[in-house]
Amino acid sequence: MPARTVVHMDLDCFFVSVSRLLHPELNNKPVIVGGGERGVVAACSYEARRFGVHSAMPVKQAKRLCPEAVIIRGDYDAYSKHSDVVNEIICESVPLYERSSIDEFYIDLTGMDRFFGCYKHATELRQRIIRETGLPISFGMSANKTVSKVATDEVKPNNQMQVDFGCEKSFLAPLSVRKIPMVGEKTYTLLRSMGVEKVKTIQEMPVELMERVLGENGITLWKKANGIDTSPVEPYHEQKSISTEETFEQDTIDVQHLHHILIAMTEKLCFRLRSERKITSCITVKIRYSNFDTHTMQCRIPYTSCDHIIIKQVKELFGKLFNRRMLIRLIGIKFSHLTGGGHQINLFEDSEEIINLYQAMDRMRLRFGEDKIHRAAAMSFSLRGFNPFNGLNNSPVGKNKC
Amino acid sequence: MKFIVSSSALLKHLQSVGGVLTGNNPLPILDNFLFEVKGTQLTLSASDLETTLTTSLEVEAKEPCKVAIPARLLLDTLKTLPEQPITFSVDLKKQSIEINSDFGKYRLAGFDGDEFPRFPTIEKGSSIDLPSKVLAEAINKTIFATGNDDMRPVMSGVYCHLGNDNLTFVATDAHRLVRYRRSDVKSKKESVMIIPKKPLNLIKSTLPNEDVKVNIHFNETNAVFSFDNFRLICRLIEGKYPNYEAVIPADNPNKMTIDRVTFLNSIRRVSIFSNKSSHQVRFKIAGSELNVLAEDPDLSNEAAERLSCEYNGDDIEIAFNARFLIDMLSNLDEEMVNLEMSLPNRAGLITPVDEKANGRDILMLVMPVMIG
Repeated sequence: MPARTVVHMDLDCFFVSVSRLLHPELNNKPVIVGGGERGVVAACSYEARRFGVHSAMPVKQAKRLCPEAVIIRGDYDAYSKHSDVVNEIICESVPLYERSSIDEFYIDLTGMDRFFGCYKHATELRQRIIRETGLPISFGMSANKTVSKVATDEVKPNNQMQVDFGCEKSFLAPLSVRKIPMVGEKTYTLLRSMGVEKVKTIQEMPVELMERVLGENGITLWKKANGIDTSPVEPYHEQKSISTEETFEQDTIDVQHLHHILIAMTEKLCFRLRSERKITSCITVKIRYSNFDTHTMQCRIPYTSCDHIIIKQVKELFGKLFNRRMLIRLIGIKFSHLTGGGHQINLFEDSEEIINLYQAMDRMRLRFGEDKIHRAAAMSFSLRGFNPFNGLNNSPVGKNKC
Repeated sequence: MKFIVSSSALLKHLQSVGGVLTGNNPLPILDNFLFEVKGTQLTLSASDLETTLTTSLEVEAKEPCKVAIPARLLLDTLKTLPEQPITFSVDLKKQSIEINSDFGKYRLAGFDGDEFPRFPTIEKGSSIDLPSKVLAEAINKTIFATGNDDMRPVMSGVYCHLGNDNLTFVATDAHRLVRYRRSDVKSKKESVMIIPKKPLNLIKSTLPNEDVKVNIHFNETNAVFSFDNFRLICRLIEGKYPNYEAVIPADNPNKMTIDRVTFLNSIRRVSIFSNKSSHQVRFKIAGSELNVLAEDPDLSNEAAERLSCEYNGDDIEIAFNARFLIDMLSNLDEEMVNLEMSLPNRAGLITPVDEKANGRDILMLVMPVMIG
């Protein structure tokens, strides 16, 4: 493969930055974005990090570490909107890019050096985003996605860097293996137990050894450690499923209440399906009991995007799944086997009124906001929502890293 | 006991009745053909309990005999024999069968013919005679629209209404519906039945090319179709057929008339670019222009064609499953067709433009898919 130029752009503690734009009084204070007493930290400011707070940590623990932190609830609609603005700026300035999450973008600038100079172009783009959105953003530039991402991580916050062509290996060598994007908690523990701490060690290991320890992933990891990553910048990811889930403030066994939440969730997802012109044929319901036992059950249905059909299925699945007299901590719904298209209207079962009703409700939602019209049962729940189709991250626990 | 029969005549008859055989029979005896000799008449039957097909041919025989012979083995043997008289010798005590051909002999184990399930007989039934051409066309035009949903068995068959002033066949899978009506054929007595798909397909394939008279003798649970020397007995589907007349919209102010083949070919081409699971195509009709559109954003596929048509009505944009339209349009023979619509979320009606209909009336209904 000829030399490429790949830029990784990452909005610095995106959730916090957006919240600060909306509430300037949060500036220079330790800020934690996270849900309620029982939630986890979705994002935190650099001030909070100094106290040892990091994302995915329970809010309770974060509070203990940093008592003066301001804890705010995420406004996911606002995050989604700001992410869209950034997306638009990038879209009009570069030939090929990939929106890999709500706050991360990969940009392929291969060939742009003939006209502008890649680094200059990326710098100007970063300045423009900062100027137009007021959000801090960092980038790393190199020959591939992995190295660029690591570079971004290294220079954050609000900074930029370039790893020159040919220097990928030496750039990665002194870093901790934890910095390689695919190394999570488990792999890290395993590597440490093998005495591997720095990327340099992996670079010096034979690939066969990595394969023996980690299998197929070992080879990929070894390549990444050596600064080899041929994965292309992909402008489009096919959406395989959409889902939503809700962890309760307090564990509950109130079936009526659970049914209402399920209806609200289904309504929300169905609206998303219809607005993306998609239909689903597989419904999954998930329950987590208070002891963290998690159960899921799914069923196949003919392709549809109609609330009433799916609500019926969801209730049936929930009825089958919820068979223990135990408090529930979390419920979730997932639609998979998605495909493009509209609901095939049934000659005998779908009345014209119900089809007209969906269309009218969807028009109202598009015009006045998604939360403006609901079934009565779903009225009292405002589910956090950013579009699962472009926000990518649709679990309430943000995977957002600052 | 012995009988002599022409190998190719026997094979031809066995192949016709063999259509009943399925891979997973509820009873092992049903993997056999039933042979019954009476006088010089050999009657062959195959059954799957729901449907039984019987035919007969002339043989040389001296004594009556009744035996069940393994179907697969017999068919495979006959297929490899050139035309010649073959002799069946049946030892009823041992249930063993010996077949003699010019080349040698083949022995196989048969079963007691009395083990074969008894065919239902129809008492107090009514009866009607139909020209085979009418029956064949009624089946051809409707059967493709039947459903496959086990939850709604009535829709897996063709509804047949024998009326005083006409004969109506209806098939639907809840997304599309076909109504085939003949006012030139009448029944003395009003009656209805729902005939399953399998016997209809068998009738379709065994009906001779020349026009013959088909007698249907039926009661609430069973029907017997007799023509030539064939007799097909089938169990009818019980249950209430949905009220199809109520869902056929009467008032459809938007009417398009278009050349059928041009329309069909356009949908075929454009639908290649539609989503592979939903096969969704859109029509935009304005003035005398029809735009046929399809897209699959997941694969960045897109197609658009423009056709001229005769159109009376408001501009409309409506989407359908292309497979349904292709099925319907390719099952019509007329040169021109009408597509009548009212709103994008209401049924579209396809009817042939047929000046000399001669009491024949076909209506095909297709439900649209929701578009935002």
